[in-house]
Amino acid sequence: MRVSDKARVRQRRIVHGVLILISFSLMFLGKADLAALRNLRMGSNDFLAPVVDVVSAPIRGIETMIEGVRTVASLRAENVRLQGENDLLKRWRRRAEILESENRQLRSVTGAATVENRTPITARAVTAPGGGFAHTVLIAIGSEKGIVQGNPVVTADGLVGIVIDVGRAYARVLLISDINARIPVILASSSWPGLTVGQNGPFLDLQFLPDEAKPEIGELVLTSGHGGVLPNGLPVGRVDQIKDGKIRVRPAVDFRHLSYLSVLVGGLDGIDNSNLDLADFYTPMPIDDSTRLLEGLNSSGKRK
Amino acid sequence: MKDQRSYFEKADFQSVLPLQLLTAALGLTLVLLELAVAQWPIFYGSAPNLSVIFIYCMIIYHGKYVPIFTIFLMGIIGDFLLSDLLGGRATSFMLLAYVMQLRLLRLQQSDFGQLWVDFAVSCAAVSLFQLLLFSAVNIAIPSLSPILFQTGATLILFPIGFVLVFAVHRLLQKVKMV
Repeated sequence: MRVSDKARVRQRRIVHGVLILISFSLMFLGKADLAALRNLRMGSNDFLAPVVDVVSAPIRGIETMIEGVRTVASLRAENVRLQGENDLLKRWRRRAEILESENRQLRSVTGAATVENRTPITARAVTAPGGGFAHTVLIAIGSEKGIVQGNPVVTADGLVGIVIDVGRAYARVLLISDINARIPVILASSSWPGLTVGQNGPFLDLQFLPDEAKPEIGELVLTSGHGGVLPNGLPVGRVDQIKDGKIRVRPAVDFRHLSYLSVLVGGLDGIDNSNLDLADFYTPMPIDDSTRLLEGLNSSGKRK
Repeated sequence: MKDQRSYFEKADFQSVLPLQLLTAALGLTLVLLELAVAQWPIFYGSAPNLSVIFIYCMIIYHGKYVPIFTIFLMGIIGDFLLSDLLGGRATSFMLLAYVMQLRLLRLQQSDFGQLWVDFAVSCAAVSLFQLLLFSAVNIAIPSLSPILFQTGATLILFPIGFVLVFAVHRLLQKVKMV
C-alpha cells in the first residue's frame, strides 16, 4: 500500500468516526427537543414532502388500481352489504334524531356548556408510518392555514392524532398508536376515565382505569376532554381484548387507509401548547374515591 | 529522491465524483421510495428497509461510489421524514458500513447463499441496534411484530436488490472492457 493510500484510508476512518459521533450526538440533541432542531426538522419536511409526494404518485396509482380491481370483483356482495347497512343507518338516524332532540332539551334545562367551536380543515396525508419506531404522518397543511401545535386530527371514524410540529405548508401528526401518545379517555357506557397508550402497533393499551371499572369487549372508548387539548366525545376505539388485567383497544380509525384527514382548528385558547410532551399535559385521575370527578356516570347521567 | 507522488496521482486520476453523486441521488430516491411504499396497507408501519439492501449491495460491489457521507445523508433524511429517533438510522447505517468494510474481502468472495445469510444477520443487527437505542432513549419497548415483519420483508426483497445491483455491476464491467 502506498503512502498516499494509507493516508487516504486514515482520513476516511476519521471522517467515518466523526460522522458516527455527529449522528450519535444528534440522538440526544433530538431528544432534548431543541427549538432549532425542531425548526430544522420541519424545514426539511417542508422541503422534502413535495418530493416524497412526487415519488409516491406511482405507488398510490398502483394501490388505487389494485383497490379498483378488488372493488369490481366484489361489487355484487358489496351492494347487498351496503343495502343492509343503509337500512341499519336509517334506523340509527331516527334514533339519533330522537336522542339529539332529548339532548338539546336536557342541555337547556341543566344549562350545560356546549362543546367549543372547532373548525374542521381537510388535509391530505403525504406519508404513512414507515417503521416500527415512530407512528407519525405528514399532512399537506401548515401554519399558513392556521394550523398550530395541539390541533386534533380526525376522520369520520374518530380520532387520528394530534399535530405536533407545524411547518409553513406541512404539519406532522402524532398518531394515537405512537408509543408517546397518551390520550385521556372515558368508557362510553360507564364514563370511567382512563388513558390510552400507543404501542407503535395496531392496538392501544387502556391504562389507569379505576379498579371498579368493568369494561366490556366491544365497548366504545371516547376522548374525555381532560386537559382541554382534545374535545370530548371523539371516538378513540373499542375494547378489543381483556387479558390478565390488560385492556387492549382497537383504534376506531383504520390507520392503514389514511388519505384525507380533518384538522380541528381552534378551541385551544388559554391552553399552553408550546410543550406537547403528552405525558405531561395529562395527569391520570387519582384513585382516591373522594377526589374522583367522573364517578361511574353513564351517558344518560345515571350512576352505574 | 524526487517526490513522484503527484505525477502518479495525476496518471491514475479518474474522477469518481459524478458516479458518487449519481449513487447518492439513487440512494436518496430509495429512502423516499421506502416512505412511499409505506403507504401500501400491507407495509403500514413496517416498510421494507430498501436503504439497507442498497447500502449492503453497493458496499460490496461499488464501495468507492458510496462515500460514508452518502450513507449518513440517507440515514439522516430517513430520520427526518420518518420522524424516527434523529440520528438513529444514520448511526446504524454507518456502523453497518464500517463493519462491512472490515470484512469486505470475505464478503466479495462469498457466493449468493452466504451473502444472504450474512445480510440476514446484518439486517437483524441493524433492527436490534435501533430497537435498543429507541428503548434506551424512550424507556419503553415498542411492539415487536412490525419490526420483525419489516426485517422479514427486507430479507425477502434482498435477492431482487442483489440481482439489480449485480446486473449493473456486470454492465459496468462490460462497458469498461469495450
